[in-house]
Amino acid sequence: MLEELLKIREEALKRLEEVESESDLSELNVSFLGRNGALTSILRTMSKLAPEERAKLGKEANEVKQFLAERFDFVRSAIEKKAEERRIKAETVDVTLPGTVDIPMGKLSPLTVVYRQIRDALIGLGFTTFEGPEIEYDDYNFTKLNLPLNHPARDMQDTFYINDKVLLRTHTSPCEARALMTLKPPFRVVIPGRVFRVDEPDASHSPVFMQMEGLVVDRNLTIADLKGTIDTFVKAVFGENVKSRLRPSYFPFTEPSAEVDISCTICGGKGCSSCKGTGWMEIMGCGITNPHEIENCGLDPNEWRAFAFGVGVDRVACLKYGINDIRLLYEGDARFLRQL
Amino acid sequence: MKLPLKWLKDFVEFNTTPEDFANRMLLRGFEVAEIIPEVKAKGVYVCTIEKIEQHPNAERLRVCEVNVGKDEPLTIVTNATNVYPGCQVPVALDGAVLADGMEIHPTKMRGVPSAGMFCGGAEIGITDAEYPGASNDSVLILNEDHENGQPIAEALGLDECIFDIELTPNRPDCQSIIGLAREAASALGQRMKEPVITPVEGEGNAEDYAKVTVLNPKLCPRYLARVVTDLKIEPSPRWMQLRLKLAGLRPINNIVDITNYVLLEYGHPMHAFDLACIEDAHIVVRNAIEGEIVTTLDGKERVMSSDMLLIADPKKGVGVAGVMGGLNSEITENTKVTLFESAVFLPDNIRHTTRKLRHSTDSSARFTKGVEAVNAEKAINRAIELVHMLGAGKVIGSMIDVTAEPPKERTATADIAHVNEILNTNLTGEQMAELLSGINIECKVDGGKLIVNVPHFRTDIETGIETDWDIAEEVGRLYGYDNIEPTLMVGRTFQGRLGRSFALEDEIKDRMAAMGFMELYNYNFTSPQEYDALLLPENDEKRQTVRLRNPFGEDQSLMRTTLIGGMLRTVQINCNKKTGASRFFEVGNVHFDNNDDLPEERKMLGAVCYGANESFFTLKGVLEQLFSSLGIEGVRFERGGGEYLHPGQKAVILINGDKVGEIGCIHPQVKRNFDLPVAPFIAEIDFNKLLCHVNSERKFKPLPKFPIVPRDIAIVVDENIDAQTVIDVIAAVKTKAMIGNVSCFDVFYPKFPGEKGIPEGKKSMAFRFELRSDDHTLNDEEIGLSVKAILKSLKFRLDADLRS
Repeated sequence: MLEELLKIREEALKRLEEVESESDLSELNVSFLGRNGALTSILRTMSKLAPEERAKLGKEANEVKQFLAERFDFVRSAIEKKAEERRIKAETVDVTLPGTVDIPMGKLSPLTVVYRQIRDALIGLGFTTFEGPEIEYDDYNFTKLNLPLNHPARDMQDTFYINDKVLLRTHTSPCEARALMTLKPPFRVVIPGRVFRVDEPDASHSPVFMQMEGLVVDRNLTIADLKGTIDTFVKAVFGENVKSRLRPSYFPFTEPSAEVDISCTICGGKGCSSCKGTGWMEIMGCGITNPHEIENCGLDPNEWRAFAFGVGVDRVACLKYGINDIRLLYEGDARFLRQL
Repeated sequence: MKLPLKWLKDFVEFNTTPEDFANRMLLRGFEVAEIIPEVKAKGVYVCTIEKIEQHPNAERLRVCEVNVGKDEPLTIVTNATNVYPGCQVPVALDGAVLADGMEIHPTKMRGVPSAGMFCGGAEIGITDAEYPGASNDSVLILNEDHENGQPIAEALGLDECIFDIELTPNRPDCQSIIGLAREAASALGQRMKEPVITPVEGEGNAEDYAKVTVLNPKLCPRYLARVVTDLKIEPSPRWMQLRLKLAGLRPINNIVDITNYVLLEYGHPMHAFDLACIEDAHIVVRNAIEGEIVTTLDGKERVMSSDMLLIADPKKGVGVAGVMGGLNSEITENTKVTLFESAVFLPDNIRHTTRKLRHSTDSSARFTKGVEAVNAEKAINRAIELVHMLGAGKVIGSMIDVTAEPPKERTATADIAHVNEILNTNLTGEQMAELLSGINIECKVDGGKLIVNVPHFRTDIETGIETDWDIAEEVGRLYGYDNIEPTLMVGRTFQGRLGRSFALEDEIKDRMAAMGFMELYNYNFTSPQEYDALLLPENDEKRQTVRLRNPFGEDQSLMRTTLIGGMLRTVQINCNKKTGASRFFEVGNVHFDNNDDLPEERKMLGAVCYGANESFFTLKGVLEQLFSSLGIEGVRFERGGGEYLHPGQKAVILINGDKVGEIGCIHPQVKRNFDLPVAPFIAEIDFNKLLCHVNSERKFKPLPKFPIVPRDIAIVVDENIDAQTVIDVIAAVKTKAMIGNVSCFDVFYPKFPGEKGIPEGKKSMAFRFELRSDDHTLNDEEIGLSVKAILKSLKFRLDADLRS
């Protein structure tokens, strides 16, 4: 009987080597280890044996059974592993094929992106958003800002008029007047919006563009505070390494007035064709609010001092992204929007 | 304003490079837009022609051997006929750039190599004003001995530059060489060499030769005149011509050139009349008669109106005050007696005149920015000094002076502490006085005050409330803004805040971008035709447009009342350019001319999509998601909307019964009108109305504890019944189980009567809804009862049958 047992063992091992698939394996499993399998049949006949012999043979048979079970498991896992490898191979894709999209790519305009950056930097400095109408009174756009009728500086801003008293605002500054007249000082406001000038569109001019005005009213403001405020948002928008400077200029609504230059974003200040070799690029105007404007808006200029700045969002966007034609911002060409 | 370095040197010791000077001026508020070399051409040198031979292969060419100061002579082939052996001429050598931008390189001409090219004045960029003979068409023969190989600019004494300076409107005094020299001197750390004018008193009595009457002293507060007889009209001397030319003016004759020279040097416009052409030699300054015509020097007839100031004689107009002289009294070569005018006119009036006549000149530009009485006198004295210096004529007597109000000394008082406060500086009054003195503003310190003696030319410095700020500006500029350290504001803390409307705009834009929409900023201008193209009826609100008084053209003459036109143009552009885009949105304002005050401004959200993957329902889905993300409930879409939309695919959008916008496919006719290859789907929503319905205080509702039972039913109903009607009926049914989330997921219209058992005039619709209970798991009986109740209600209210 022992021989028979060993024969079964040999036979099983031999058959195992020929197994190729999971189904071959389970078939084999049934024919050897199954309920009516060869090994089970032998074990069943053991009851006829003498007790000592039964114990000896039983031990032997169990070892064979154990051994074969382990072999079966081993072969099974090898087959499974092979099958998994085949599956993986079949599922392998060319990762360089293009990705698929359910929704096309949406984009915010660079104007929105830049506007938010500036605005959020200022909110961090305690500014609050404020807004006013695009179609505005001449009085707010000019007269209250120390630009009475026939003031030579009115020529600086070619204006679209609706009638003698109403116009398309040429800057966001009329909102300064609205803020000064309605808010209780001290306050800090940031005013974004579209503005309009009679400029035929070309690479650097657009009759519609976006401006942001900052206005701070308090008791002890200085031009050094103005410098610090501007430097903060210049760094927020253009990066920590970008420097800013103020240089004297003239605006009727500020005195002293200054232009803000930033170190050239192309060459980093060494001088290149974009900055005409100066290392600096002009981005905005600013100044201490003219006392006449404060007075025109009902506050006492000796009690309340203010400073203001107006930045062209378009200009900043063009500088920041290296856009060489401002008109692209208003054309809605998807190829342009996708890039930025 | 063009500032020739040559001229500047009359008043300033120029001890630096042009670039450094430009930078110093910039930091004082004077931006040098361009540094222009006196001679434009580069790489042109002096040479002597040693030998000239006929070209072997060309009759018109000659081969010259030239000495350019090197050991070896060069060969130049030329077609010039005026050159001769031994003459000195300019030659452009390899790498030269001529005045017109042309580059010169060695070449072969008919087989003979030529190292360069001889130049005439035009190629170098000069005329007779710079060098005699330079205006001729031929090669420029130099008439003095120069060193061969010397750069031509140096040889001609034209190796300096011209600064093109941008002026701010507050500094009319700097529209002059002297005004700029004052600032330049200070920028270079010097004091300007003050010009000294030698007064010229002539024989006789000017009043015997001419008379001046000012009838409107308000518009002409000062009129100064001098008479010069025995004129010799001839070209002005070369130095004067050269300076005029460098500063951008064309030399004419000695008398006119003198007025222009003074205009540039002192910034005060002058005029010279041929006194023989002035009736009774009597100048009358008066308002024009309405419709009176004056022919100005440029030969154009100017129709005057009664609010314009006219320079006239007793019979006729002889000039438009402050703008241009009359042709009838022009200085000609035959003029023997002249009257020089140096007057002050009211800026507003001259501005008005130039606007109305649509004509501005160098003179009017200065008058409109403001001239002043003291400078008027200096200017005319300088002109007479030049007449004398040039020997242009005989100066008669002294000044004819008609002055309504003599110029006054002005004193302003500034608070030193206040100036320091504005600038965050710590300067003493003496330090401020010293800085200001550098630009001829003299001050005294009196305790805490700075007593400023305002110079006559600084009309921009006020003697009132603005003084402290004016002085702070001057001190700050002279001290240097770079020397002021930036600080962050101190004092009480402010809470920075993004307003609700701004925050919502951010959120909407972000959502739209996330759903595949690209953001537009379209212009606000539109054409009247657009509203016809959109098929809008005459009484449509969108036709209440605001009209610009001075648009670029009729097609951009209106402010938009809708974002739709702009979005359709965007679609057109993107289709034409095949950009592959399909979704765009814009948040922008529209305006309605519907009240007497400012036009009504409405912020709108517009969205458009087009192409194979888009439909009414993709856009509707986008809006539904948007509303849902904003916590807006009670949204309904009902058939309806503007004429620009497809009659079968349009809806108004209602939120809690309030109409907030429209959605639909563009009407086929509108598609054709806008020349679109596809019919886009479009939606426009009133931003502020949307804002009203946003629920920003959303609260958490506990998640359901018991399972939700979804059920589908298919019903057969009248084909005119829309899904929303059925949904409303189902949602309104009250059963023990709660009914929610009702939606329609399929509609079937039979293609022929009776298809799939659906009778004529009917359609099949499939709905899904959810049944649930808050306190137990629903059993089959409850579910069955609910479905039964729903079907009963549908039958009763809509005559709908369960589809078998």
